[in-house]
Amino acid sequence: MPSQQPASLRNIESRAAWGMLAPAMTLLIIFIVVPFFLAFLLSLTNERLIPRPIPTKWTGIRNYIRVLTDPDFWQALRNTFWFTFFIVPVQSSIGLGLALLINRQFKGNHIFRGIYFLPTVVPMVMVAIIWAGLLQAPEGVINGILRQISFDQIGPYDWLHHEWLAMPTIMLMSTWQGVGFQMIIYLAGLQNIPKELYEAARIDGANLWQLFWFITLPLLRNTHIVVLITTTILAFKLFTQVEVLTQGGPLGATNSLVRYIYVAGFQYQKVGLAAAASVIFFLIVLAIALCQHHLIQTDKD
Amino acid sequence: MYKKLIFFLIWISLVHSIHAAQTIQVWFHSGKGEERKVLNEQVKRFNQMQQEIHVNLILLPEGSYNDQVNAAALAKDLPDLLDFDGPYIANYVWSGFLRPLDKLVNKEIIEDLLPSIINQGTYPGDGRLYSIGTFDSGLALWGNKQLLKKGGVRIPTSTKDAWNLKEFEEALAKLASTPGVKWPLDLKLNYGRGEWFTYGFSPILQSMGGDLIDRKRWVPSGTLNSKASIEAMGLLQKWVKQGWVVNAASGDNKFYGDKSVGLSWVGHWMWQAHKKGLGDDLVLIPMPRFGSKAVTGMGSWNWGITKKSKHPKLAAKFLEFLLQPEEVLRMANANGAVPARLTSIDQSSLYQKGGPLHLFIEQLKTIAVPRPFHPAYPILTSVYAEAVDHILAGGNVEIELNKAVRKIVEDIEDNDGYPPFGK
Repeated sequence: MPSQQPASLRNIESRAAWGMLAPAMTLLIIFIVVPFFLAFLLSLTNERLIPRPIPTKWTGIRNYIRVLTDPDFWQALRNTFWFTFFIVPVQSSIGLGLALLINRQFKGNHIFRGIYFLPTVVPMVMVAIIWAGLLQAPEGVINGILRQISFDQIGPYDWLHHEWLAMPTIMLMSTWQGVGFQMIIYLAGLQNIPKELYEAARIDGANLWQLFWFITLPLLRNTHIVVLITTTILAFKLFTQVEVLTQGGPLGATNSLVRYIYVAGFQYQKVGLAAAASVIFFLIVLAIALCQHHLIQTDKD
Repeated sequence: MYKKLIFFLIWISLVHSIHAAQTIQVWFHSGKGEERKVLNEQVKRFNQMQQEIHVNLILLPEGSYNDQVNAAALAKDLPDLLDFDGPYIANYVWSGFLRPLDKLVNKEIIEDLLPSIINQGTYPGDGRLYSIGTFDSGLALWGNKQLLKKGGVRIPTSTKDAWNLKEFEEALAKLASTPGVKWPLDLKLNYGRGEWFTYGFSPILQSMGGDLIDRKRWVPSGTLNSKASIEAMGLLQKWVKQGWVVNAASGDNKFYGDKSVGLSWVGHWMWQAHKKGLGDDLVLIPMPRFGSKAVTGMGSWNWGITKKSKHPKLAAKFLEFLLQPEEVLRMANANGAVPARLTSIDQSSLYQKGGPLHLFIEQLKTIAVPRPFHPAYPILTSVYAEAVDHILAGGNVEIELNKAVRKIVEDIEDNDGYPPFGK
């Protein structure tokens, strides 16, 4: 019976497919799905971080009410959005610019590649500590340079303790540290673009700007998507540099959502509250990811 | 041949295991370099002088020390013996980390301890001793005699003739216009938000009649946000707004290095650096009477033995070694702290009557207020330090203190009032 042959084949194929999926699925379930549901359950209790002599109790949505009525939470949310909306376009375009610069064939281009990528390889904690030294006021290196080039007219500024300067300072140092990552992804994207396209366009009389605008940018479409989504998620996870440099200050101007969760869970030892904030954080990131996905889909059509 | 070798190896390992020292894990906060040096050397000597116990010392960064202790407790990975900042005792005992020391440590040693050390180490829940420090702390003002004289400021010498608020602020104003003074006052804001803010600045609250929490009913409302507390924190904000206080980014050494600061508000641990920098120009000034009374901080890092330790007696032996009068003295001479044993104080050239740091003893005996012994202390200090941080940056004092109160109230509620406290 020839009609049954494909069905059994399909059966075997799908069994093989499930078999190959199984290890990854198991790990995903154990490390992502289960913890998420645990976090959701914990968010409905008064669970404490460390053992205590009294039992944990269900507290309903009390933790959610506490998070949502806490002005510090809203401030952290605003700060995180501001940071993300700045960092995503800026870091992506600088990353692309650097990638374009070092994508050319010249002697020692891999040395530049290494130099630009270096800050990204150095752990953020160390980068932040080095910047804390550079940003000292009034006698730090950066204030010194500003004073020199402005003939004593500008500064000194207390970069990390000034309500309006602290966040932009964190943004700048984060860009400096992270931009190598975007650069490397763009570099890979650039090297996938066939050279013939540029040659053909040259013959047609296209100038450099037209080459970039009509060939490089459109052909990097998939790279843009990767960079956009990863940079957004990385930006939302803002924590280390804030914790090291400002601890969320001054007046909460640099507090981030992840730091809010960290403080709730580790400093205040309120796992329940931290879990509630994490669930809210997850929903926000999910909403943004869905939005981006939707935009990319409609763009494709 | 091989058989013989194997027998030999087994014999060696047996003999070795009989004589092998029992290892105990010890955690210490890596605070001041001088402290680390002395403790490292003490551990080395202890390990050499006896075969029974081998102490394995691990240093952890001070800033996140409590977080690391909590993480270890969660992972059931606490060491045998650890040190921690004094007021955390109530939280650690309530959580069940620590075991009482009164039966483990020699009575003679306990009887020779400074009363403030016993006070700090006793858990109010059951009245037993759970931790012992080898030193206590001292908080006062350090002055640059030369600058103070140039500014025409009276220098008090004992708690009895301490400045009142008016005199203190006049001194700052005078210093501000004294040539050579860039800032009148260093509040060590460079330490950043942390335990220092609670240790250093809650005495202003208490001096004005406020406090971190009501110590009878264990509620913060009406105490931390009382009129007196708001006024006290308002003072701190005013000094900063006047431009009298060294800013946080200026680094540590404006008082003792650049010598451009008149007064430094900091604890005993700066003794070595201050003495080295200022020499005979250094003068120790008692805490001012901001309100009706002067108040200073007390309590420092204490040792405690964990409940999970399998060798509490051995851990106690090492602790007893650290508490030998000459060892206590060695540490105190290195970090400038108040020696925990009365015998050591009498032997200390720094602390005996007439010594340059005797004022700390006088303050500890008369005007010291411990930080609250309550299991909510970690959150209390954390939210108070945050409030201070915001107030220093110009935030509204009342709003910030109310925010802190709300967080403490929520925490106490989340823990059913921390029984048996609050009953």
